[in-house]
Amino acid sequence: MAQDHHNVKAFVPLTFGYNYRVGAWMEKYLDGLSEKKILGVKCPSCGKVTVPPRSVCGACFTKPEQWVEVPPEGELRTFTVGRVKVAAGEIKDADEPYVIGMIKLDGADSLLSATVKGIDPDNLKPGIRLKAVFSDEPKGTTADLSYFEPVE
Amino acid sequence: MTMSRNVAIVGWKQTKHTACSEVCRERMLYELIKEFYADLGITKDEVDTMVLNSNDFQDGRTISEVYPVSWVGAFNKDQTKVDADGSDAVLYALMRILSGNYDTALIISYAMGGSEFRNQAIMNYTLDPIYERQRGIINELSASALQANAYMLAHGLTENQLAAYAAKNLKNAAKNPFALRQMADATPEAVLESKPYYSPLHELHGYPATDGACVMLLASEEKAGQWTDKPVWIRGTGSCQDTYYFGDRDLVKVDALRKAAQSAYAMAGVSNPAEEIDAAEIHSSFVSQEPIFAEAMGLFPEGSGGKVIDEGLSLIGGKLCVNASGGPQGANPFTTTGLIRVAEAAAQLTGKAGDMQHPDSKKAVAHGQTGICGQHNTVFVLSTEL
Repeated sequence: MAQDHHNVKAFVPLTFGYNYRVGAWMEKYLDGLSEKKILGVKCPSCGKVTVPPRSVCGACFTKPEQWVEVPPEGELRTFTVGRVKVAAGEIKDADEPYVIGMIKLDGADSLLSATVKGIDPDNLKPGIRLKAVFSDEPKGTTADLSYFEPVE
Repeated sequence: MTMSRNVAIVGWKQTKHTACSEVCRERMLYELIKEFYADLGITKDEVDTMVLNSNDFQDGRTISEVYPVSWVGAFNKDQTKVDADGSDAVLYALMRILSGNYDTALIISYAMGGSEFRNQAIMNYTLDPIYERQRGIINELSASALQANAYMLAHGLTENQLAAYAAKNLKNAAKNPFALRQMADATPEAVLESKPYYSPLHELHGYPATDGACVMLLASEEKAGQWTDKPVWIRGTGSCQDTYYFGDRDLVKVDALRKAAQSAYAMAGVSNPAEEIDAAEIHSSFVSQEPIFAEAMGLFPEGSGGKVIDEGLSLIGGKLCVNASGGPQGANPFTTTGLIRVAEAAAQLTGKAGDMQHPDSKKAVAHGQTGICGQHNTVFVLSTEL
């Protein structure tokens, strides 16, 4: 069917973006980061603490209004070593391997995804104690919590 | 819960899935549907309602069902669209017939993720824009790797065993005339030698970027016999949504799938799925999801993923065959994948599965997911018997 192979393509870009309101709960979380604090909320019904804070507990359909500052320390639950990165929907080789972990902060019930540095990928195991490293000059964005590293 | 009417899958047809379709999607759909109608001996006027299935982001058009109207034969017809997985399009078509207002419903699903859009961009747009997308750490690949490792840490599945799941599916796909990635001689070693993505996942644990389409006709019991002498009955269905936030979910238990499957089994009168189900088609975008999802669906005991693959329990001819078609490892046209799972499960029950045929299949289960790592799940129990 070679004569039927039609491969002329029209490239159609999508060039706009969105300006989402992050909501009061996330604003407060970001304000906390700007002071190098990690804030979560506690559900009045199930008692679970979520970080980042959720303005509604999905399980209970209630509004958690009790704010909790959790320590910037916790333990590694699951992890992966990235050899690629995804940029604009394309899979590209990473410059060097990097570690991503799901971290259970002390006092939180949810897990936080984060880059983990300062540990040999071969030595990764669940339960390793990690601490948060903040930007030197936090600006109140999600990037303020830069990465986690092992507690000495 | 029970079905208010009996509804059958009377036929289906898929394209040979490719990395780059030889024809544009309009022609792909037109030819597929024309051939399907001819095979079945049905006219377009006998199709009461049409459920299209794609995704606006994949099509690059808003309310994207507006564009293929002519090519799918929807002009002047009752037609709607499902933007989630193809399995949800089956659910919607089923409900339209259950309403009593329709006797036949055609499901049409397609994706051009091999050649026209970037799968990973589509998946990134499912993520929480306020947090995860700002951080840029979680994507479909890294999330699936974190899920895979969580299962392996919890249940002792080894990297070799995980690779053996991929080898099984790639070998099965070689028996599937519609699959794109076919490797008759696949080995765990070859899987582990493929391009590393995020540990423990390599390229061959995942899916090929795929162009493809699938159509399926559902009909009421009153009408089904007009077009088939082997109706596959939808005996039960369930669907369930997990929380949106990746860090708030139990990636190993996948409660949303557990509940969807339990609903489907309750409706179908299945009390012991591990013993009663013969074949399963699971929408496991990465092979690590196969044991996770199979266990959530009660097909194998919790944490038994290593034993299942070591003992060949899920092979064609094994105790409970999983993804005889190769599953998404063979082809993964986005959203169409869930419809293909239903079609391949039906193929097993009608003896139409060719080299993929699992012997004596009387009852099968099909699963579809939307989101990453099984956020939303839909399950069907299919049977040749009422």
